[in-house]
Amino acid sequence: MKRPKIAFFDFACCEGCQLQVANIGEPLLEILERIDVVEFREVMSEKWDGPLDVAIVEGSITNQHALDRIKQIRERAAVLVAYGSCATIGGVNGIKNSFDLEDIRRYVYHADYRLFPTAKTRAIHQAVPVDYSVNGCPVNIPEFVDVLKAILLGLPYEVPDYAVCVECKLNENVCMYDRGVTCLGPVTRAGCNSWCINNGNICYGCRGLVSNPNTKGAQEVLRKYRIPEDLLLKKMEMYNMCRELDKNEQT
Amino acid sequence: MKDAQYSVLRKEQFDGFISRLSKLQRVVAPVARGYNNYSFEEVSSGNGISLKYIPTILPPKKYFMPQRETLLEFDTGRGLNSEAVVECEKMTIFGIHTCDLAGIQCLNMVFTERPRDYNYLMHKRKINIIGLECNEYCDEYASCALVNASTPSGGYDLFFTDLGDRFIVHINTQIGENIIESTKFFESAGKSDLEDLTELRAGKRTLFTKEVPVEPRYIPELFDRSYNSKVWDELGERCLACGNCTLVCPTCYCFDIKDEMDLGLKSGRRNRIWDSCQLESFARVAGGENFRKERSLRQKHRYYRKFRYPVEKFSRFFCTGCGRCSRTCMAGIKLKDTLNLLIEEFEETVSTLMEGNY
Ligand code: SF4
Ligand code: SF4
Repeated sequence: MKRPKIAFFDFACCEGCQLQVANIGEPLLEILERIDVVEFREVMSEKWDGPLDVAIVEGSITNQHALDRIKQIRERAAVLVAYGSCATIGGVNGIKNSFDLEDIRRYVYHADYRLFPTAKTRAIHQAVPVDYSVNGCPVNIPEFVDVLKAILLGLPYEVPDYAVCVECKLNENVCMYDRGVTCLGPVTRAGCNSWCINNGNICYGCRGLVSNPNTKGAQEVLRKYRIPEDLLLKKMEMYNMCRELDKNEQT
Repeated sequence: MKDAQYSVLRKEQFDGFISRLSKLQRVVAPVARGYNNYSFEEVSSGNGISLKYIPTILPPKKYFMPQRETLLEFDTGRGLNSEAVVECEKMTIFGIHTCDLAGIQCLNMVFTERPRDYNYLMHKRKINIIGLECNEYCDEYASCALVNASTPSGGYDLFFTDLGDRFIVHINTQIGENIIESTKFFESAGKSDLEDLTELRAGKRTLFTKEVPVEPRYIPELFDRSYNSKVWDELGERCLACGNCTLVCPTCYCFDIKDEMDLGLKSGRRNRIWDSCQLESFARVAGGENFRKERSLRQKHRYYRKFRYPVEKFSRFFCTGCGRCSRTCMAGIKLKDTLNLLIEEFEETVSTLMEGNY
């Protein structure tokens, strides 16, 4: 690929993942030699409506307008990257799906709520086909750079499908459960190099759950550590509510 | 015991000894991390070292075979140019328990087999080993006596035993001798020091007893008869496949190889990174076939890799009884419990057979 044309787009999100690009630091200069950024609202005012080699999409799809727009982007882009938790798994926007849509609109927009149509939150792959995923809230820069290299090489990028515990052990962290704190590491997909735990925080499950979690076994673990199931479910719902939509599609 | 092979280090000299040694080379030793966790870390004095510690989160294996390691650097821009890489530095590991010494002995066997693993062997050549005796059990998860790893049987340069106000130190190699000489804190051991050591070892023989009611020599047979045991299904139902048990094990050595390109997409590195047979992707091959898709099969594999297969190949168990897998398991799967269940099940079968016969 010769300096591919790349554009960044955002849907429902905080745009923090795009901000991470600015945090790359020095390697960013080398990256910019390899790619041609044609649209990136956060850092430049130029727009581009021609064909794209790569569309990097942050945010989730939360209404009809967003759905139409992502479909257009998909049509224009040879490669589409879901970028950040809101895009890859719905992220915190998914919390909306635990409520009645009508109620939630009233709650947010009060009297004018009819002017703001809404829909169940969807991750990008629940709206259009996605070629690459960069998980995380925010994305982990080394992983983003790896995905970028994979795209440039035309290779697939495999998001690890095992627990964050694996990376946490490699980093020799003291287990959060030994500290008496509930951590979502055992059910969350790795790939972040146990970023949060390395820095003294718990895992919030922002990368989504492993594809084949042992639910029954996990309940045992909760019993062992005397953690109410409800607490853990709530923690999981923070990022992973949109998972429901994947399940429904499968059945 | 020949006295010449023993030296004594007074406790008040310990700090000075480690400080001196750390000026000569990098020294790592067990350090408290809080919440009853320990890890081998770099130290510059004896004060930071935990002389009483339960097995560290990761075994000292991490210095012989780092979690992530570059094996090769390549540059396709210059006609497929590639160069082998070993990054290692001279160091001394202080305070390795006998279980972990046994672990290193296992890895030595694996990696000196042909084809030899030169990265491992280069690390090994640069590492000096100072063992430290456990005078009592670290905790209830250990099963070192079962596998004969509760007392030293080689694999170190120096070996420290705590005798209260002093350490008695066994000098096992020329390197050990050099450490003693170059640090100048040691005295020669006298008769009473050796007597105290003998007494301590005798006491240990009653303190450390087979943790599981089975004669070690029957363990291979026990496993031969347990291949279709329901114990594996039970473990499979509980296991979360987080891989913790294998990642902390001193004798697990499986790794994955990953190439990493530089941004220029011409040059890069070939890295190895620890892998685990407990992960679903481990036994998946091209075409999507997975030889051990079930968690139960993967747990079974782990146990056979400790107690059955290596007996055939290396004539020893590849479990050192360190207890790390049991301590770290999210689902509370405990090695001693598993062995007990297998024994119980086996005894039940035998007694039913007997009843049938009479
Ligand atoms: S199987 Fe468990 S007890 Fe045995 S050496 Fe490995 S971690 Fe230690
Ligand atoms: S540590 Fe426990 S839960 Fe994790 S893979 Fe090993 S046996 Fe399974």
